[in-house]
Amino acid sequence: MNNKVKALQKSNNQLDKGIKPENQEIFTSMICYIRGANISLYDQELVRQDLTGMILSAQDRGEDINSVVLGDFKEFCDEVIDNLPARSRKDKVLERVDILCSGVAILGFINLLFSRDLYRIIGELFAGKIVNYQLAVSLGTVISMLVILAASFFIVNLVLKNSFKSAGSENRKKRMIIGGIAGVLIMVFFIVVAMLGMHVLFTVNLFLAIAVILAFFIAHLILSRI
Amino acid sequence: MIPPQRKENKMIPSQMLKGILEGCILKVISSKETYGYEISEQLNKYGFSKISEGTIYPLLLRLEKNSLITAVYRESTNGPKRKYFSITSAGTKELTSFFESWQEMSGAINALFNTKGEDYEQ
Repeated sequence: MNNKVKALQKSNNQLDKGIKPENQEIFTSMICYIRGANISLYDQELVRQDLTGMILSAQDRGEDINSVVLGDFKEFCDEVIDNLPARSRKDKVLERVDILCSGVAILGFINLLFSRDLYRIIGELFAGKIVNYQLAVSLGTVISMLVILAASFFIVNLVLKNSFKSAGSENRKKRMIIGGIAGVLIMVFFIVVAMLGMHVLFTVNLFLAIAVILAFFIAHLILSRI
Repeated sequence: MIPPQRKENKMIPSQMLKGILEGCILKVISSKETYGYEISEQLNKYGFSKISEGTIYPLLLRLEKNSLITAVYRESTNGPKRKYFSITSAGTKELTSFFESWQEMSGAINALFNTKGEDYEQ
C-alpha cells in the first residue's frame, strides 16, 4: 500500500467515526462488498470517502443512509464498481504475490517458533554441546501451510462477496450446514496432518530458514509500497 | 423556467429515467460547478422526484470516467471534503448531442400520442 493510499485510509478511518450506529451496519456491509471488487485499493478508499461524506451530510440533515441509497444496497455497489476502472492484470498479480509473501513469512515464523528443533538447538547452545543447526521440515508442516494459505484466500473472498447476506432463518440453516461441513473437514485435516506430521521431507539450516522468512517479509514490504 | 410540480407520488419510472438522467445531470453541472447533493436538489426542483444523491453517484462516476466532467475535492465548512464537478468541453458536446436526441425523441413521442385527435393530457 503506497503512501497516497495510506493517507486516504487514515483520513477515512477518522471520518467513519462520525457515522451513527444505525447507519454503521449497512455502511460496513457496503465497504466489505466493495473490498472484494476488482478495483484498486485507492479507488476503494475514494469510494469509501465519498460514501462517508454522503452519509455524514445526510445525518446533518436529520436523514439516514436509506435516504442516500434508495433501494438495493448491493445493486448500488455493483453500479459503483461497474463505473470504476478494473485493476490491471499486473496489479492483481502483484497483490496476490504480496499476500502470499506475507502469508509465507508469518506462517514460516510461527512454524519456526513452535519447532521442536529450535528448542533442541537452544538447549544444546546452553548446555555447551555441539549444536546441530538443522531444522526438520515435515510433510505435515508443508501441507498445513498450503492449506492455511488457500483457505484464507477462500474465506476472505467468501466473506466479502456475501457481506449483504441477511440473517434470515433460511440463511441461518444454510450457514449451520456449511459450518458443520467445514468443522468436519478441519478435523479430518488435522488428523491427516498429525499422521503425516512425522514424515520429514527435508532439513534446513536454522539461519537459512530465518533468511528465507526475512526475504519473504522484505518482499512483502516492497510489494505493499508499489 | 421551472415547470409546475408533477402530481404527488407520481414518480417517473426508473427504467425511463435510466436513459436520460446522465444528460440531465450534465445540464445541471453545465450551469455551474456543483456537488452531488446540490445536483439531486436541482433535479428535484425541476420535477425529477426522489432522485437521491446515491442514485446519481454511479452516474457521476461514469461521466467522470468518460471525461465528460472533472472532479475536485474541496474542504467544506463542516464535515468531510466535498467533491465538486465541472463540465468539460467533451461534456458540453455530449450535452448538445443529448439535447438534440431528446428533441427528436420527444417530438416523435408527442406526435405518436397526438395521432387521430387522441388526447393524453391530464
